[in-house]
Amino acid sequence: MFLGLEATGQAIPRQVRAYSNDVVSPILRVLDQPIRAVQAGLERIAGVGDIYAENETLRDENDRLRQWREAAMQLARENERLRLMLKVPGREVPPAATARVIGVGGGAFERNVLISAGTSDGVRRNLPVVDETGVIGRTIQVGRWTSRVLLVTDLNSRIPVRLERTGDLAIAEGQNEAFLMLRFLPEEVVVKEGDRILTSGHGSVFPPDLPVARVSEVGEGYIRLEPLGILGKLDYVRVLDYHAVPDEDAIAIPDVPETTEEAAEDGQ
Amino acid sequence: MSPRRPAITSFGFAGLFPVLITLFMAALMLLPLGTGAANIAMPHLVLISVFYWLSSRALLMPYGACAALGFILDLWLDVPMGLNMVLLLLTRLFVLNQLKHYKGRSRIVHWAIFTVLSLGLYLLAWLIMSIVYGTLWPIQPIAVQWGVTAFSYAPVAFVLGRMRRVVL
Repeated sequence: MFLGLEATGQAIPRQVRAYSNDVVSPILRVLDQPIRAVQAGLERIAGVGDIYAENETLRDENDRLRQWREAAMQLARENERLRLMLKVPGREVPPAATARVIGVGGGAFERNVLISAGTSDGVRRNLPVVDETGVIGRTIQVGRWTSRVLLVTDLNSRIPVRLERTGDLAIAEGQNEAFLMLRFLPEEVVVKEGDRILTSGHGSVFPPDLPVARVSEVGEGYIRLEPLGILGKLDYVRVLDYHAVPDEDAIAIPDVPETTEEAAEDGQ
Repeated sequence: MSPRRPAITSFGFAGLFPVLITLFMAALMLLPLGTGAANIAMPHLVLISVFYWLSSRALLMPYGACAALGFILDLWLDVPMGLNMVLLLLTRLFVLNQLKHYKGRSRIVHWAIFTVLSLGLYLLAWLIMSIVYGTLWPIQPIAVQWGVTAFSYAPVAFVLGRMRRVVL
């Protein structure tokens, strides 16, 4: 009976699951504490030896990033001015919630994680989830305090993407493995190892231009992708509050001075 | 004539211990350990626990408990509802039919029987998943998890054995 409900895609099993995740989440949080403490301790011990070399590298990186930050801020200001002039709606997607990965599901069959944010935090179904490096998946079940995220590597995951270098559209398909496959790319497109794959914005779930993966292998009839999201070490993730069609209020329209309208009315 | 020892420690914590410890193991299976996202390195602790308790104190792990544990695990792991329920009920059916052949034998024999049984159950799970989703499911992650589960039986069963001595 349960398998039948599952096969017909009924919503009841999904909702029951979402609330059962809420029930187990306090237990997971408690069990998680000693594990995180041990992991942090081990990382600290492993990091002591490299601390001086790492410090030096970080100083260099910090200097470089300061220069990049200045350039980025200048470009952002310029971009904003042009957007206002051309009345182009903004593409920044605000986060709905930042959450911690508290559980992993699926075992050998599926690829999903449980995060510590639900409807009480503004999370809804089918919102994109990212970490600091790229897309990791989308929410599929949302309970009151927890949500389940279907990872990009799951067999049921299909993300509309484009090749950053050429702009050609394709689909990134999960394989239940550590890698993804790129499908439906036009045959004439030349793909190189290392090419970045970004979301295309089609399909209404993921906003455009989020990094998804990098081409890791181009073979005879297949293109293999390595996800950019650090799926093996997920800790904190962000759920993006993305609406495919922006709210009217969010569209940046330059303010028209009232005096101009009044002057036009006076002139009539 | 000495009074006959009851076959089941029917009430109280001791009687519920096998089910409670198996439930705890279900929660442990959800923890983001090892590879994190791809939790195939996590052994199927519930299957190990259910097999262990059925082989040692079968009456403390009735059909209802196996079904309930399987159902909870399906909900928590987000696999098709009924999958783990079927696997645990089949485990009970298997043990009750075959226990007479290996009861009292060494731990190695129990381990070998668990390995063979879990292989059959994982193959069945693969078949069910392929039918439910209408596509051939990748076999490699399932084979890896079967290997990890089979390998983990001995240490987990050892720990459960120690607990059994203390509690039951």
